[in-house]
Amino acid sequence: MDVKRQEIADTLLREVAKCRACRFCVDMCSLYQATEGVESMAPYGRLQIIKCLLNGALDEDDPIVYSLYSCLQCGRCDGLCQAKGQNLEVSYLIRLGKYLLSHGLVKGGHDEKV
Amino acid sequence: MDVDIKKLAKDLSRIVGKEHVFTDKPTSVVYAKDTMPWDLEEQNIPYAVVRPANGQEVSGILRYANERLIPVHTHGSGTSLVGLARPKTNCIVLDTARMKDTRVYPERGYFEAGPGVHLAQLRKELEQHNALLPVFPGSELVATFGGTIAVNTSAHGVDAALGKPGDFILGFELVLPTGEIISTGTESTRRPAGIDPTKFFIGSEGLLGVLTLLRMRLIPLPHFQHIVASYRTTEDILDTVMEMYRQRIFPPLFFEYLDEKAAKIGYEAVGLDEPEGAVAMMRIHSWSKVGCEDRANNFLEFLKRGNPIEARIVDDPEEWKMVWGSRAEAGNYMYRLGMTFGSEITPRVDKLREAFRDAKDFILNLDSYQGNEFISFGHIGAPTIHAYAFVRTKDIPNELKKAIALEMREKSEELNIKYGGCGGEWGLTAQRVSFLKGKYEKEVYESLVKLKKALDPNDILNRGNLQGWM
Repeated sequence: MDVKRQEIADTLLREVAKCRACRFCVDMCSLYQATEGVESMAPYGRLQIIKCLLNGALDEDDPIVYSLYSCLQCGRCDGLCQAKGQNLEVSYLIRLGKYLLSHGLVKGGHDEKV
Repeated sequence: MDVDIKKLAKDLSRIVGKEHVFTDKPTSVVYAKDTMPWDLEEQNIPYAVVRPANGQEVSGILRYANERLIPVHTHGSGTSLVGLARPKTNCIVLDTARMKDTRVYPERGYFEAGPGVHLAQLRKELEQHNALLPVFPGSELVATFGGTIAVNTSAHGVDAALGKPGDFILGFELVLPTGEIISTGTESTRRPAGIDPTKFFIGSEGLLGVLTLLRMRLIPLPHFQHIVASYRTTEDILDTVMEMYRQRIFPPLFFEYLDEKAAKIGYEAVGLDEPEGAVAMMRIHSWSKVGCEDRANNFLEFLKRGNPIEARIVDDPEEWKMVWGSRAEAGNYMYRLGMTFGSEITPRVDKLREAFRDAKDFILNLDSYQGNEFISFGHIGAPTIHAYAFVRTKDIPNELKKAIALEMREKSEELNIKYGGCGGEWGLTAQRVSFLKGKYEKEVYESLVKLKKALDPNDILNRGNLQGWM
């Protein structure tokens, strides 16, 4: 496993583990609104998906890519999480998750435990 | 249970449309996850998430589920703090998010709303009509109206000041577990006397039906005044609450507290100076401005007789926003610093001090974990003590998290039994079946099982919650 991937994965696992699943961020998300409230299309859902991708509970597949890449990076979830939630830089974490996927650095599945 | 997922997706698509059925694992995992501190297990993962638009579609899903004997778990926003939201068995998750239409009928004295509308949105809409939404959870940004009434939670609200939200429900459209659509209650502001099935479904925790339309009386929006008071110790606040009831003083709408440690964390998180001691905060309500000011002044006088360090009315809305924020988000702010394992203890009001002492004692002497701290806050005027085991790390193995949470649950339930309470916010099934069996005669639990069986013979809805499955 290359150093950069490990570094990003470690950061993500540490930060995403802080998400309490309060879901306070969902209503702020344009994609959540546009899909009439699909939770996997909300910041909360994307963080959970990244976590499961990295700990091997999920395999890389189309819905994961679709969910992560649907994030518009508007950052509205960041303000909400910092004010009321776990003070996470949510959109940055999603961007890191996308980076791992787009560079083929993570495939998910049980051989991907980190 | 063998379920052909492709066929399931196809069949459900016929009922709600293809775009409203999800069988991918990422979406299933996201819907199954809740605020419980331990990880999801294989039996928690749904086969599919389905998102109906109305009662007809809910009916179609439930009829189909009964034919195939596939459990259905109703999902609002997944904010339950006791695991009600986590499916206990592989199932179809029925998401209510698309059923969120709201119609306000001032001339009829009520409004109607779908179960999926979020409370913050609903509150905003009602305030345009000068009406109050009578429920105040910390999770109101995302908590749903349907979930609120399905649990009949008071949250911050003091029951003795306003009642439960279910007290204002006039009727429902709902779908029985076997798929029949029924309506209950009245379109009059006069609620039925005698047997009213509406009452069976208020607080039924999704076990007896799926609410698809809720009708609630419009409550005039009251005036509010806010008070903040600091005390040397939390026990001084408990004494004040006991005295308030003993003297039959009308309670504030909210009467909240942060213990010494929680006050420091909460105030720091919102950018206020560290308070001295424990903090209590109150919202006084009345339907006239003069009446509200009068009540606030009288209550302040009462508080001052209890010898606080300081007690004052907060007139500046911005200051109140910060003070209230320190309490409203206290649970999340504490979680930033580690892990929290909570409890809901609602003792008989004259036993408040003893219950608090016992809670502190058991939390500082857990069998499952050593080295945790005790921290507490809550709706003390209700009274509710949220007593927490606080661990300043998130690096705890999954099984240990589960063990701590379960010990907290078991021991706080012992206190509820010892001191005559039963909770008032988090519901009574899911992880609380052992409490139900311990507190009441065995016939009480057996009656609930019979009621469930009568309405849901195949045990389709929210399977496992009444059984106490984890």
